[in-house]
Amino acid sequence: MVDHFDVRLVKLARQGDQEAFADLVDVYKDKIFHLAYRMLSNRHEAEDIVQETFLRVYKNWERYDEKQKFSTWLYRIATNLCIDRLRKRKPNYYLDAGMNDQEGLDGYTLIPGDERTPESEYLLTETQQTIHYAIEGLPAKYKSVVILRYLQELSLSEISDVLDMPVTTVKTRLHRGREFLRKKLQHKVL
Amino acid sequence: MDCKQATSLMHEYLDDELFGEEALSLQRHLQECPSCQMHFKELEQAELMLFATIKRSSLSASDELVDRIMKSIPSQQKQRAWLQWVKRHPALTAAAMFLLVMLFSTISLWNSDDQLIVKGKDLDHVVINGRTVTVPSGSKVAGNLTVENGTAEIYGEVEGNLTVIDGSYYQASTAKILGEVRSIDQALDWLWYRITNTFTEVAYR
Repeated sequence: MVDHFDVRLVKLARQGDQEAFADLVDVYKDKIFHLAYRMLSNRHEAEDIVQETFLRVYKNWERYDEKQKFSTWLYRIATNLCIDRLRKRKPNYYLDAGMNDQEGLDGYTLIPGDERTPESEYLLTETQQTIHYAIEGLPAKYKSVVILRYLQELSLSEISDVLDMPVTTVKTRLHRGREFLRKKLQHKVL
Repeated sequence: MDCKQATSLMHEYLDDELFGEEALSLQRHLQECPSCQMHFKELEQAELMLFATIKRSSLSASDELVDRIMKSIPSQQKQRAWLQWVKRHPALTAAAMFLLVMLFSTISLWNSDDQLIVKGKDLDHVVINGRTVTVPSGSKVAGNLTVENGTAEIYGEVEGNLTVIDGSYYQASTAKILGEVRSIDQALDWLWYRITNTFTEVAYR
């Protein structure tokens, strides 16, 4: 049913209906934001990604294949933008990582704070932080697979569509990513 | 079943892709192998933590983001529409550009140029006095005669066309003009004359 609603909105937006486009943005902005935030661990950059994603959608309607799910196309654009950003960021990455490992508490620690979690759930916030760091530390090629799997709850074949790679590759990366997270979270759980 | 095989089956299980016989054999192995059991428990926990984090954290972008996106869009579209038209009609675009350049160059020429110009193949019998170009009676110009920025006075004979640009002409009763008589005193006419002349010049070369 949701899909049906999507298809209609997409059709209207494609024909230039600004209101339909605004509705599409409204429906998907948080999902894309969440995805970008998990990939980049930065609110500001994540919002940039959302904006850039929808701009690309708007500019590239002619490239959208209606047989494909709109969300798949959208995730593909957003994921690629995030991966590009991570790649560009790489030279500074080590500095950042070193700082995080030593002190454990810096600018990034404040980020989970704006995740609308009630203060009473302190334990959960801590767990979230642990996971936040674990995900952040994932190598980029595992990161996108893991995030699409757990954050967007996509099936393996959907992930293979989004990332444009064979299901077997998705599987391998998911398994390695899962092992990576297991090791990171091993002694911190419960 | 060895532990390596078991690990790969654990992942299959967590991918929701392990059923029947294989699932049972994994279960059997886990019961016998404490280290795999531990491994599986850790994987399951990591998995649960990841899912829990997602369910609990409803991250949302700032509210003004939709506005920001919508504002950044229309200008983009105008530019695109224009660009698309250009992409779709390369020949028309080239022609339009050509006309535009022609228009500007000729208009600037037309405005700045007020020298008397007399053109023709046979100008021996033509008398030029100030801005007046006279073909005296009894004489004959073989071919075309073009007068720019001046007055043409024809008493004799012109075997070709007479063209007067940005000026005037007088034709006496004795005058004989075999070709056409054209008077051009408007930028657009002149432009047309230029373009057609350019083409014929090019064609004849």
